[in-house]
Amino acid sequence: MRSALFLILIPLLTACAVARPPLELADAVISDRQVWSGEVRIRGVVTVKKDGHLTILPGTRVVFEPLDRDKDGIGDGELLVEGGLVARGTAEAPIVFTSGAAQPKAADWKYLYLDFAREGELAHLVSEYAYSGVQIHFCKATVTDSEFRYNVDGLRFSTVNLLAAGNRMHHNTHGVRFEERRSQAHLHHNDIRDNDIGVFVVTRSDDAARIEFNNIAGNRQYNVKMGLEQPGDVTLPRNWWGSADPEIVVRGFFDDRQDPALGRVLAPQALSGPVAPADWLKHQGDVR
Amino acid sequence: MKILKLVLLAFLLAPLTLPVPAVACVGKTIVVGALDTPQQQLLANMLAVLIGERTGTTVKVVPAATHEAAHQALLKAELDMYVGYTGVAQVKLLGAPPLADQAALYKAVKDRFNQELNLVWLEPFGFADPRLAPSGTVAEAAPVVRKDTLKKFPALARLINKLGGTISLETMQKLEAGVKGDNAKDVARKFLKENRLI
Repeated sequence: MRSALFLILIPLLTACAVARPPLELADAVISDRQVWSGEVRIRGVVTVKKDGHLTILPGTRVVFEPLDRDKDGIGDGELLVEGGLVARGTAEAPIVFTSGAAQPKAADWKYLYLDFAREGELAHLVSEYAYSGVQIHFCKATVTDSEFRYNVDGLRFSTVNLLAAGNRMHHNTHGVRFEERRSQAHLHHNDIRDNDIGVFVVTRSDDAARIEFNNIAGNRQYNVKMGLEQPGDVTLPRNWWGSADPEIVVRGFFDDRQDPALGRVLAPQALSGPVAPADWLKHQGDVR
Repeated sequence: MKILKLVLLAFLLAPLTLPVPAVACVGKTIVVGALDTPQQQLLANMLAVLIGERTGTTVKVVPAATHEAAHQALLKAELDMYVGYTGVAQVKLLGAPPLADQAALYKAVKDRFNQELNLVWLEPFGFADPRLAPSGTVAEAAPVVRKDTLKKFPALARLINKLGGTISLETMQKLEAGVKGDNAKDVARKFLKENRLI
């Protein structure tokens, strides 16, 4: 009898798993523990509230339907996390956040936004065609082995305790954009290239963010750019800048050499060759 | 049997969520108006690129049919700024008598816009275009910005004023000659880059 039941149930369960329709959400809140898998289509804002927790399983596709209610040219779709988020994909089955537009472009949707989140862990995640691939503010989070592409901002943060390692930021307006504001941020073994600006230091940096052992090279306008209100120097030691020639390296910076009101970008102990982002875990002990 | 029932139940219930309305978080985009002329497109894109690239703020250039339409849109907060001309502002928008003295005209327009309309004339770009001067006036071009926009972005005036006095009439004519089709943004960016402003 039990064997017969298995024979009936297993194909049924398999069929359900394969043919399961996407989970479709409009503006929604999550106040309990939820798990997403398969395809999730969002039209509007999904908020994980303080007492909520969302786990996203490997291979999940989160698709933001085109929506621009205020017609400001920036899509309104977002996943706002005030509670917990664990989005842990795998190399073989990354989690993808993307646009549902027929011809996707940057800012089709707003962002994956961690704001005062209780928990934030992103690994093997691809985030594309957003205003910000991910924004992290006022919380502790890790972002590893992920890819941020075709966004205005790839990874953006302020006032965080953040580890970002082994990520690739490419073909964004800004690969990394931050307002330090007393952050304890450590970015290492990231590959930041082919953006308009590699690292955009907007303002309020006291030179405490540790940005080292990254490849910051081949960005179209500048590898590092100081924002209008960044009068203090910013140090990015031990990175690969695409060249070992100090004069060439300096040409990739927008700082007090263009506008005397700005601080200077300092790049001591520049590396003589690129780092391997995928090996970041092996080098955890090498970085200070 | 009991375990199988539990597995089946868990499998069916796991993906369910509870949709409830929520409030969206919206950022501020700066909107610059521009008439459909090479000069207006150039100057509007110059403002947009300068602001966007130096501050990271999103800036959008939108069309305006006439100076009067742009002015009304600015008053209604549909625009944050546009490029105005002192002669047009004095005679057509304020209905005031023309003034031939360039400095006096700029001051008269700036003062009335500020006091009566809460609009701020920033530093002139550095040229006056005779094609846009009503009879008896000169026509200096300058950014005109809503006062509440400047309050929201305190560094904006200082940034935009970096363009003050950087464009002579000769330079403007050269830049305009370089505008072909919809490349005004590229020409504007090249100018800003050459002048080490971005």
